[in-house]
Amino acid sequence: MLLLSGLILLNPAQAAEVQTGIDPEAQLPYWELRNPEMSLRLVQRVPDQTRAFFQARGFTNDNAELIAQSCVFQTVFKNTSHETSPSPLEYNLHEWTVLFANQAHKMKLREDWKPEWVQREVPIAAQLAFEWALYPTWQVYQPGDYNWGMSIFNLRPGSVFDLEVVWKQSGKKHTAMIKDIKCAEDTYVAPQGAE
Amino acid sequence: MMRTKPGLHFLCAVFFLGLTSLAAAAEQQTLPALAKPFAATDFTLIGEDGRSYRLSDYRGQVVLINFWASWCPPCRFEMPSLERLWEKVKGKGIVILAVNVGENRDTIFEFMGQYPMSFPLPMDLDGKVVKAYPVTGLPTSYIVSPQGQVTHRAVGSREWDDPRLIEQLLQMRK
Repeated sequence: MLLLSGLILLNPAQAAEVQTGIDPEAQLPYWELRNPEMSLRLVQRVPDQTRAFFQARGFTNDNAELIAQSCVFQTVFKNTSHETSPSPLEYNLHEWTVLFANQAHKMKLREDWKPEWVQREVPIAAQLAFEWALYPTWQVYQPGDYNWGMSIFNLRPGSVFDLEVVWKQSGKKHTAMIKDIKCAEDTYVAPQGAE
Repeated sequence: MMRTKPGLHFLCAVFFLGLTSLAAAAEQQTLPALAKPFAATDFTLIGEDGRSYRLSDYRGQVVLINFWASWCPPCRFEMPSLERLWEKVKGKGIVILAVNVGENRDTIFEFMGQYPMSFPLPMDLDGKVVKAYPVTGLPTSYIVSPQGQVTHRAVGSREWDDPRLIEQLLQMRK
């Protein structure tokens, strides 16, 4: 069931509604920012999911653990304006701000991780998988376009933070805050029907 | 602490498929034109079938280049519709090159067991071809005109056998 958690009006011209609830497929919490022209959904990823994903793609246990412990969300950002008034959407994750414990910091992006993987001598194929699995740092979506990928917030499991989202659409810069996003706890989630 | 347990792959699959259905629910399908078409960078890659595929060999036809990976849920979502599109347009001046990013033949072969694909699957093993195109996320598809110009781009999955998309592709042969 969806719970309406807030109406964000940092930019009154582009009211963006934030909804939270349990993703019916993932069975994990999500936070979704939406207006008629766009939607941004963040779905928790439990650390076990992330460990398994990257171990299966050539990361050592230690390196997969580093990612898993960094607060990872599955992210889907869509330009839905083709249903209303078609207009391109542009974002740059460098402009987004993570607010945690009264401090502001940035997300940990593809470009931030790359030197670490080089230094840790992660196989090239694994680096490629990591790069393409992460959410693009910058993108322009035409109407109907979207991406899917992992966003990493560089916080400990269980941390609660606010996210200031910035994007440009219809010739305007928009800002919205998603409050009280919670990183997944580091607990094992059994599949449905399992003991 | 390591806690990978049996059943995790199932959990991941359910999770990924859920997001996929969320992201690519039946909606109006779009194939936007680029504001500034550009010359397609030529490439030669070995396919999953062992054959060599060179983009410029298809000059005179419309080429749909689809960049994908087997672990990418939206990529998986659109593969069946890409195959249905291929069944409808092959031999009609439209070619599909589904360029796999960074995976080996065994992985692709295993994937084909679940998602049958009969169009060419060139393998970009070191990721150099995908870097030569302005791709920032998977899947991304480009349309190359018969004259070798990249004219359209779709970011994210599509229902490729949507009649309007098929008609749009057929019109591009001119």
